[in-house]
Amino acid sequence: MATDVLVVATEASNDGLARAATEAIGAGARLAGALGGELWVLAPAGVAASEAAELGAGRVYTYAPGAEVLSTVTEAAQLSSSRIIVVNRGAIGLDVAARLAARLSGGCVLGVTDVIVQGDDIEAIAAIYGGAARAQFRFVNAGPRVISLAPGAGEPPARQQGRTTEVVHIEAAGDARVRVMEPAKAAEGPRLEDAAVVVSGGRGLRDGENYGLIRELAGALGGMPGASRAIVDDGWAKPAEQVGLTGKIVTPDVYFAAGISGASQHMAGCSNARAIVAINTDATAPIFRYAHFGIVGDCLELLPELIRVAKERAASG
Amino acid sequence: MAMHIVVAAKQVLDPEGVNSYALWGRLTVDETQRSFTVGDVIPRIINAYDEQAMEAALRIRDSGVDCRITALTVGGGAATDVLKRCLAMGAEDAVHVDDTESDRADGFRTAALLAAAVRKMGDVDLVLCGRQGSDYDQGTVPGVLAELLDAALVTVAADVRATEDGVQVVRVTPQGLETVEATLPAVVSVSNEIGVARAPSARGMLDARRKKPAVYDSAELLTGAGGGVEVVRVFVPDVQGHCEMIEGDTPAERASRLLDALAKAGVLGGH
Ligand SMILES: Cc1cc2nc3c(=O)[nH]c(=O)nc-3n(C[C@H](O)[C@H](O)[C@H](O)COP(=O)(O)OP(=O)(O)OC[C@H]3O[C@@H](n4cnc5c(N)ncnc54)[C@H](O)[C@@H]3O)c2cc1C
Repeated sequence: MATDVLVVATEASNDGLARAATEAIGAGARLAGALGGELWVLAPAGVAASEAAELGAGRVYTYAPGAEVLSTVTEAAQLSSSRIIVVNRGAIGLDVAARLAARLSGGCVLGVTDVIVQGDDIEAIAAIYGGAARAQFRFVNAGPRVISLAPGAGEPPARQQGRTTEVVHIEAAGDARVRVMEPAKAAEGPRLEDAAVVVSGGRGLRDGENYGLIRELAGALGGMPGASRAIVDDGWAKPAEQVGLTGKIVTPDVYFAAGISGASQHMAGCSNARAIVAINTDATAPIFRYAHFGIVGDCLELLPELIRVAKERAASG
Repeated sequence: MAMHIVVAAKQVLDPEGVNSYALWGRLTVDETQRSFTVGDVIPRIINAYDEQAMEAALRIRDSGVDCRITALTVGGGAATDVLKRCLAMGAEDAVHVDDTESDRADGFRTAALLAAAVRKMGDVDLVLCGRQGSDYDQGTVPGVLAELLDAALVTVAADVRATEDGVQVVRVTPQGLETVEATLPAVVSVSNEIGVARAPSARGMLDARRKKPAVYDSAELLTGAGGGVEVVRVFVPDVQGHCEMIEGDTPAERASRLLDALAKAGVLGGH
């Protein structure tokens, strides 16, 4: 088996590949380079597939959007006989990566922050305990090494405009055992994941009503509101607003954490923000270790002032 | 015939405890390099997602479905605490796959043992488990288990209901909630969106004390390795950024200084 690398780039819209997909292609390209293998990419047919070619894929495997993913990926893996399979982060990690590895007698590590090349093989470092610690895994079987990356673990490669490559279309059989009765309604309007400013609140807000301050500041700064899991569980904020390991992963220019302690599971969703602002009454709260700017104080006093100043500045342009 | 539901649950170090030890620099690694020295001081608890899987099973029963719930765990002797918890919550039976040798970070081996145990039980319709362990956060067990049992797989469930001939599951996806139906046998992984798990009743705790889990020997269940990955080492990454503290006499002053600082850093445009 050659040490070729297959990147499974399923995260895409009509506009092309999402960041999760281009990061995975970047990581795949680096591994293919280090191991002297080829880079193959599986992407939905259309704009995303052309983009994969421009990002350096040696061959692009395509599938019709809506095709069953596991059998499609299995077929691409077999056709390309890749030894390393990089699956882009997203729901596909839990749905497909492990089953694929089991089906092909390989191994699988999710949430990979770093890949170490050792001879002609790899070991994968993954975030564990919500990001509080790391574990380095080695693969024990001969089959494919399937990994999925943590946010920010790959750099999207430079784009070569107009580059084309060989395309192989895959038509895989579906899985009749699971039927979608009611698809998720594609969220209308802007997505938290794409927001340049995210203002999040936690238990320090003391009362569900005060989450209104979070929404208001987010609005005044042209951003979107987020929340810790604690207050989503309490019903103060919506599940779609949860940031963290089991919520949204956001990468804004600036992330406000008001009344949030900074548990590793929360930080797993926001630590790639360019700047993190912490507002917390407790000067020893973990959040200050991650923050770039901090205010020790009561967020219920500070939020109204921030809203006022932000609105003034927005009005004066 | 009654629907047979298996709830697969594991024991983990309390993640909150691990967090605090990590933050205060006291999460140290033992001489094997493969585990932490805090194993004795941080309490071991049932993985919260697995507890929520147990809750999902009980809700199926509450909805009037005739069912039998068996709690199943893989691990050493102490892991049976997890089974006691499930029995106290309302499981009828419990099975302990005794596996002291097992490297708990290898979801492939765990899944192979779970699959063998489920096959040994023979009549299982539905396996519920947590979406991932809160220790290694891998979430590989449900997928591998479904593959080995040749069962339908539905991940990250917020609601699970039994239908005439299968299950209807509301899943959490990045795009929002999605409703799917799956045929049996099925493996469904449950997420925290399902809500808080019920506490065991006093009666349940008394009943649980009288029940003894059946013990399956891992060496009998598993011929061959069944594994997929192995931990080489664990470590704690450095988190100590540089935090610029914004001071000021009044909240108003600090608010405006903060926005100035963000504008200067170039992360807040237009202000
Ligand atoms: C497996 C697993 C997955 C998880 N996934 C997630 C996830 O995706 N997202 C997530 O967020 N969490 C997640 N968690 C939970 C996480 O560990 C924390 O429990 C949670 O993030 C805490 O929320 P919090 O910061 O709002 O609350 P707390 O930890 O209670 O912190 C409240 C903070 O507010 C401060 N405070 C109090 N009053 C004020 C005030 N007036 N002004 C300013 N500050 C004040 C306090 O000092 C404290 O630091 C997960 C946990 C586990 C085990």
